Amino acid sequence: MHLDTDVAIIGGGVAGNSIARELSRYKIDTILIEKNAEVDFGVTKSTHSFIHAGLPEPGTPLLNKLVLEGNAMFDLLTSELDVPFMRIGKLLVVTNKNEVGILEKKKDEADAAGVPGVRIINSKELREMEPNLTREAVAALFTPTTGLVSPWELVIALSENAMENKVEFMLDAKVTGISVPRDNIFVIETTRGAVTSKFLINAAGLFADDIAKMVGENNFSMVPLKQERSILDERITNLVNHLVRSPITGDFVSPTKKELGAKKSNFIIGYTSEKIEDKNDVSTSREGFQRTFNFAKRMFPTFSPKDVIISFAGLVPLNTRTNDYIIEASKKVPGFINVVLGGSGVGASPAMAKLVVKILANCGLGLVPKKEFNPCRKGIPNFRELQNDQKEALIARDPRYAHTVCRCETVTEGEIVEAIRRGARTVDGIKFRTKAGMGRCQGGFCSPRVTQILARELGVPATEITKRGGNSRLLLFKSKEKLKNRGEGENQNEISRG
Amino acid sequence: MKSQEVDLVVIGGGPAGLAAAIKARETGVEDIIVIERAEQLGGLLHQCIHNGFGLQYYKEDLTGPEYANRFIKKLKNLGIRYLLKTMVIDLSSDKKIMVVNPEEGLVHLHSKAVILAMGCRERTRGALAIPGTRPAGIFTAGTAQRFINVEGFIPGEEIVILGSGDIGMIMARRLCLEGAVVKAIVEILPYVGGLIRNEVQCVRDFNIPLFLEHTVTNIHGIDRVEAVTIAKIDKDRNPILGTEKKIKCDTLLLSVGLIPENELSLKADVKLDQVTGGPIVHETMETSIPGIFACGNVVHVHDIVDDVTLGGELAGVGAADYILGGGNPTKEKINIKAGEGIRYVVPQTISAQRDVNLYMRVLNPDRNVTVRVGEGLLKRNFPTVRPSEMLKITLPLSRLKTLDEGIKELVVTCKRE
Repeated sequence: MHLDTDVAIIGGGVAGNSIARELSRYKIDTILIEKNAEVDFGVTKSTHSFIHAGLPEPGTPLLNKLVLEGNAMFDLLTSELDVPFMRIGKLLVVTNKNEVGILEKKKDEADAAGVPGVRIINSKELREMEPNLTREAVAALFTPTTGLVSPWELVIALSENAMENKVEFMLDAKVTGISVPRDNIFVIETTRGAVTSKFLINAAGLFADDIAKMVGENNFSMVPLKQERSILDERITNLVNHLVRSPITGDFVSPTKKELGAKKSNFIIGYTSEKIEDKNDVSTSREGFQRTFNFAKRMFPTFSPKDVIISFAGLVPLNTRTNDYIIEASKKVPGFINVVLGGSGVGASPAMAKLVVKILANCGLGLVPKKEFNPCRKGIPNFRELQNDQKEALIARDPRYAHTVCRCETVTEGEIVEAIRRGARTVDGIKFRTKAGMGRCQGGFCSPRVTQILARELGVPATEITKRGGNSRLLLFKSKEKLKNRGEGENQNEISRG
Repeated sequence: MKSQEVDLVVIGGGPAGLAAAIKARETGVEDIIVIERAEQLGGLLHQCIHNGFGLQYYKEDLTGPEYANRFIKKLKNLGIRYLLKTMVIDLSSDKKIMVVNPEEGLVHLHSKAVILAMGCRERTRGALAIPGTRPAGIFTAGTAQRFINVEGFIPGEEIVILGSGDIGMIMARRLCLEGAVVKAIVEILPYVGGLIRNEVQCVRDFNIPLFLEHTVTNIHGIDRVEAVTIAKIDKDRNPILGTEKKIKCDTLLLSVGLIPENELSLKADVKLDQVTGGPIVHETMETSIPGIFACGNVVHVHDIVDDVTLGGELAGVGAADYILGGGNPTKEKINIKAGEGIRYVVPQTISAQRDVNLYMRVLNPDRNVTVRVGEGLLKRNFPTVRPSEMLKITLPLSRLKTLDEGIKELVVTCKRE
């Protein structure tokens, strides 16, 4: 493959996809290059679902500005992309009278920054807002505009919309080298062939330092900050209505949603740990479990660790040069633009994408609006949440919507086939696009069936189906395959055992 | 939308549901529908290709599919209707049921009685909070069983199994026979979680290393499992520092317990027992909602299918009596309570008007114990008891007749005397 493009974007997370969609408004040839098998297999998918209101933090002016601006853009963005979004509001809760001062200071800063509607809540009102909250809670700072979005739903929607508006996607393509034969010409070598572009956007998240080094920029490194979280069984209802967070430790309990606005809500608990060294370390820890469980129990005495159905860790990519984001054109390499987000990156992404387009224009990229740009994308029909007459209409169109494959989340074969049509190639890809396997049995029942459907639709043997691309094959052998070698003496030890 | 009146709906076409439907027909209910979400009747028995089924019920040694097929054949001979690939998406306490399947789309069923026979599901890694990464290669034992025995694939070649439940031990043997190496079975308890016969036939006979009072403390590998770390645990079940062992493997199977699947029961406001995780049932297998019955692993997790069948038959008779107005609705119920040394007893209430079997599990393994029902109503001595082996005690009507008038509760205890 040798593609001549105007703009190449490296990285298929929320940054890369937001920029791709923003660029697709214009007559620009854009290609997005992602090393994983599907978009959103990097850090974005396991980030917090919170779209923060923009309470300013010290020393991060760019982050503060983009999060505040981005927050206001989410209603339009998510309605265009058919992605559920809900402003749940955040309560920063303190349990000690001496800590109320922290809240007052934050309120003054929020007012000065123009964060809308921020106010201090007394214990009585707090109890009305959060009936299950501990009686120890004395006050809270309420930010009504804090929102909730599923990060992977957003990224998948952005990518589908960008694709419809003619952005090229090159997946499973790890960038191995970049050469710059002359100004504003980049030759990007990948494991799937080379691409050339006039502009290159480095949105490689946790690996943005590796990409920057390839063009000779060595002024930052990336380090991950680990966040551990657990999700509770959806049987647990009405535990908490807002994002409830400690202003001191950052530990939180919140509703989360696989389908926001649905009848049922899941709850998520979590905390942020230290910076770590290994960029692939998404392991959870006993200490992490203890800490989140203790906080949840202290804030919500009815919480029980028994209700946890899954725990996972996410990584926030931080750069070593500044505490803030780095979004700027390289001074050394014309046409090379670093887009390095960090915490609250999903919330900042819509405003960030506008900023990046502006930077590209300043670097000389012509922006001619495309008349045929379609800002709207429709999601995969979600059988479980439809009204009965809508369900019947869907089944009449395609009876596979009447065949339930994932019984915990009621995901049908119709939804899974549609997800594959839209680009899902892996079991995790199906999970993120349809929720199959996300429920309380965690794929125990549906994973053999999902594997079968993937193999059938993609026309490959089931042994080639992976969890999330690369070497993550689920089934290593056909049955009896391991026995064939026996006569040749390879597994003699095991024979004597049998 | 289609709408149908029906006398009895049985939700679940596994061994419990099949036995219930057959017995209800034999007791006189004509109009029965069995609803099954899979592609065939028989439930999980189809993936249980090992033997040991039916030793009590048929006095024969059958495989899972053989056992299932006897009931499926009988059901078909009796002309009982069944729907396959059909999911119940709603159930109300007034017994309105909505189902969906590719042939008929959405269908409303209004039934006089319902039997819940949805079975159970496996506990997952999340429920255990096992630390570590999240690579491919972690399966529950039952999922692996389906892959191997039904789909025809072997998940990996170097296996560690966490938990010594029956499915885990049976899969250990199965994987050995398929040419994989089972490097360890790791059990947090000081004793094996499943039946003794499986410990002998599936673990000891295959020389599989068994680590009791150990647990998995870490999972390694980014794309695929590369190793697990196991460690010995102290009396509070915390890993003991310095006892860690890293075992290279590509697959981790979890056999760490089964959970009755009662999401539908909750939709119908059926009251559940906090210990069993299943509906609270009367001796007729009727739940807290009149006309809704439950049987099999949805009520409590059984050791052997033969007992599931018997429970299904009880529910079938109970539902038939309810529909046909036969039977004798119990006015005064006596609560059966788990006392010292007993984890739970099913059924939770009895009438004292007929013979009844009590199924129970003890809290701890022990020797030479006496199980007592009520003060002096009945006692049985057991040379050994283990939580993993369900006890069954029959209360004959002749003994129940000796109970004082107006008695509200019978406590069951298990202790050394």
